[in-house]
Amino acid sequence: MSEGATGSGEPPRPGLLDPVDLARLASLELRARTIVEGAFSGMHRNLHPGTSVEFTEHREYAPGDEIRRIDWKAVGRADRYFVKRFEDETEMRTFLVLDASASMGYRRLGVSKLDYAGYLASALAYLVGQQGDAAGLLLFDEKARSFLPPSTRPGQIREVFRLLESAQPAGRTDAALALGRLGEQIDKRSLIIVMSDLLDSEPDEPGVEARGALPERLRQLRARGHDVALFHLLDPDEVELPFDDLIFFEGMEPGDPRTLLAQASDLAQAFKRESAAFRDRWRAACLEASIEYRFARTDAPPAEVLRAFLADRQRAVRH
Amino acid sequence: MRFLAPSLLLGLLAALLPWLVHLIGKRRALPVRFAAMQLLMRAERRISARRRLREILLLVARTGVAAALPLIFARPFAERTTDLPVASLDPQSAVIVLDDSASMSRAAGLSTMFERARDRARALVRQFPSDVDLALLLASAGSSPKISELSPERARVLEALESIVCSARPADYASALRNASLILAGSAHAKRRIYLFTDLQAAGWESGTGLPASGAPEVIIDDVTGAAPWGNRAVLDVGVVPAPEAGAGGIAVDAELADFSLTGMRGLGVGLKVDGVAVAKGFVDLAPGGRGHKRFLHRLTGEGGGAHEVEVEIDGDAFRLDDHRLAHVELARSMSVLIVNGDPRTARNEDEPFFFAAALRNGLPGAAVTIKLPDDVSPESLGGTTLVALLNVAQPSQAMASALARFVSAGGGLFISVGDRVDATIWNERMAKLLPQPLGLPRTASALPGQHASEIVDDRPAERLAPIDRSHPLLASFPERGEGLVSARFFKYMLLDPAPESAERSVILRYESGAPALVEKQVGKGRVMLLSTTVDREWTDLPIRTGFLPLVREAARRLVGVTGDDEAASLRAGEARTLVFSGDEQRLEVSRPDGSVWVARREPASATNSVLYSETDRLGTYHVRAVGADGTVSARPELDFVVNLDTRESNPARLDPALRPDRIALASPGGKPPKHRVELWHTLAAIMIALLLCESALTLRRRRA
Repeated sequence: MSEGATGSGEPPRPGLLDPVDLARLASLELRARTIVEGAFSGMHRNLHPGTSVEFTEHREYAPGDEIRRIDWKAVGRADRYFVKRFEDETEMRTFLVLDASASMGYRRLGVSKLDYAGYLASALAYLVGQQGDAAGLLLFDEKARSFLPPSTRPGQIREVFRLLESAQPAGRTDAALALGRLGEQIDKRSLIIVMSDLLDSEPDEPGVEARGALPERLRQLRARGHDVALFHLLDPDEVELPFDDLIFFEGMEPGDPRTLLAQASDLAQAFKRESAAFRDRWRAACLEASIEYRFARTDAPPAEVLRAFLADRQRAVRH
Repeated sequence: MRFLAPSLLLGLLAALLPWLVHLIGKRRALPVRFAAMQLLMRAERRISARRRLREILLLVARTGVAAALPLIFARPFAERTTDLPVASLDPQSAVIVLDDSASMSRAAGLSTMFERARDRARALVRQFPSDVDLALLLASAGSSPKISELSPERARVLEALESIVCSARPADYASALRNASLILAGSAHAKRRIYLFTDLQAAGWESGTGLPASGAPEVIIDDVTGAAPWGNRAVLDVGVVPAPEAGAGGIAVDAELADFSLTGMRGLGVGLKVDGVAVAKGFVDLAPGGRGHKRFLHRLTGEGGGAHEVEVEIDGDAFRLDDHRLAHVELARSMSVLIVNGDPRTARNEDEPFFFAAALRNGLPGAAVTIKLPDDVSPESLGGTTLVALLNVAQPSQAMASALARFVSAGGGLFISVGDRVDATIWNERMAKLLPQPLGLPRTASALPGQHASEIVDDRPAERLAPIDRSHPLLASFPERGEGLVSARFFKYMLLDPAPESAERSVILRYESGAPALVEKQVGKGRVMLLSTTVDREWTDLPIRTGFLPLVREAARRLVGVTGDDEAASLRAGEARTLVFSGDEQRLEVSRPDGSVWVARREPASATNSVLYSETDRLGTYHVRAVGADGTVSARPELDFVVNLDTRESNPARLDPALRPDRIALASPGGKPPKHRVELWHTLAAIMIALLLCESALTLRRRRA
């Protein structure tokens, strides 16, 4: 597992487009390709390392298997027929799980968190498709709004792009419920990449248990052998609260009664501390559950975020 | 609370401004739909208590400032009842007379009568309307006016009141009221009043009220004692006389004590201190309103003719200033006088040195006096002698003349008096170096001078002394008009032949005819004094005059260079002391009991070589020292003096109501207590400034946050 954060605090590499520039590109597919190319400039590795000729496991011969794949040495030792399976032949499936609740639509400058999550998800889907792996998509708010099972069929990635482009922020958040449903439907080992602002679902917050217990759901997925990565996306305003005026704050999600009239500058320091503590709690919870945690501000170039994610994964596999 | 300009209270609506600004600001808040409400609410919970308190304080401070301004302009005031004179509320010219005499220093609870009087005077000044013209005087004798011109500046009067310290001088109400009347005479106001804050002690009114017979200003007396009687005990007098029975250096200290109460005092403690050290203690019973005496015997142990400070002290009461009294004493114990009797008689009182020796023994306790006949005196017998007196000696031998010349040149003193037995020719021949002026012929007075009241009638023609010059150190201690000395009659005296003017020679006394009576001359380190008449009653009645003893005593002291006390060394507070420059002294410095130093410089052009020191408003010992032309500083103990209380201040008797000069009642005629208007805008202004400071601090803190 690896963790990290990418945001405006780190200068973007040359050639990496920031989210606002990406938004000017015509289609999501083009954005995805741009992101991937940016992330992989000088770095040509797969999402699933160890493919091509690397042996992974034996399987008993079944009718239809190629004769040349039979491992004759194993036949001699066990007196049964086994065929070799290689990495590129494993059925590694990738689930892209995106929070599409109303809170993900917050945007003041730049792009919304949902847009940003879309950029990252499309790039990952594009990458998976390029490698011939199966990619699926789950959009959720308080329930599973769209679900596209993983597949390697032609047109799968375009369908992912279509769903991502059509996604609109709405509804309340219940990530735990959506992941619970997902866990029930996945029967094979998969890479599950969750993207959310994680607001109103805290690992240690008293009373959150009743609303879904997202950390618990993530732990359960990890326990079933799935590889889980969590992208924690926040708008810069949700990190620093850079307002000066007297502000009347209202909740974004439907039915949220919370309001606050305050001189924002009075709250800025306390808010920054609360926001940092909030991220620290999530980071600690993920570390404990062996889940990869990655924090990203929506003003950071997505390619940079993707590159750091892939690099960490490759490093983790090598070690 | 009432207002002088209530219409301006409409401005109070301005107090709503901060609230309106607050409400409008709330409406103008920018609405923002925010996702991280959970984090926001937590942050707000963390700082909300502090922030809300600050917001409330800011709102209160701003509302207070907005409300204070119209309130101040509306001139709010409150009315309070007061026990101060209601007459003070009229437009008028007023002179405040504050009694700072000694009796006002008596204790009254935790403060003194003077402090109480000053507090009430201060309250009165504050109570006056702003258009009242004020002046400020003091009631003690010889005091300077604090503010002698009428002025509406109350702050100046209050400041002057603050600076006043109660003195030890006696009261002189007549002078104070007279001066107050003079100040008010030039007033433009129709109402002119004198406010006297006093203890109404009878002492100090002996000279009347001092008010003019017509057109006198109204006098209002504020009796700060509340007419409460007070008992007092005092040391009225301390006298020191020689007491040979106590041994060498023995003195007897006589203290006169008094009780001024209705109860008297049994076992009143009386103590004697010498040079600040308690040496004896006794007890005295005093009858109500009675007097008592206490005598202490004591031996002074110091060497030489040093000065001593003797103090008698009784158990303390509320008025501490008269519970002790000082005397300045100096004993010429080392003085050894050889009197050569040139005209011995069998009857003691006719003997030539009878009065002279008696004056020395009584005037200089401790001085060793030896009387010899001329034939018994040898040059060797001058050894150990500090003063030689040749009284009516017919003719000194040549050897004696030479011995005396050496004796005087070495610092000895020589006193010469003449008589029928003196052979002027031989004296002039053998004693030419020593005589201040050559002796001439005897002269008998030819006319009977004017006869003084109660003097001894003597029908012989006589002459008197010319007015004395008190600037001479020898005469400085005599009364101004020389009482006791100028009344002496001289039936016969010896004329002195003219002598060239000389700095070493000076005439101390002259007869009315202008002939020298007492002449002195500096010879070497010593001094010679010549009296041109007898020291017995043969040629003059001087020996039986009161001035004879101090004259002989001071002459002896001067001749041997011994300093000594004099009558003027004990003053009453407020009395002046003449200080005489001697030799080349350029400056005299007086160290007061409180440690401060008064300096007088010698005026080169001045005809007199003395200065008058009058700042005797503190009880205690005043030490004098002189600074010579070359800057050398030397003590002048003969000029030291003590200042005691004027005993009139000890008597608590109150002024007879019939003699009171006030004609206006303190209270208003209706019986209702008068009301005093207190303006409140000062307080409001102070509150507004405080609120402004709070607002600034809160705003600054908010900006920093």
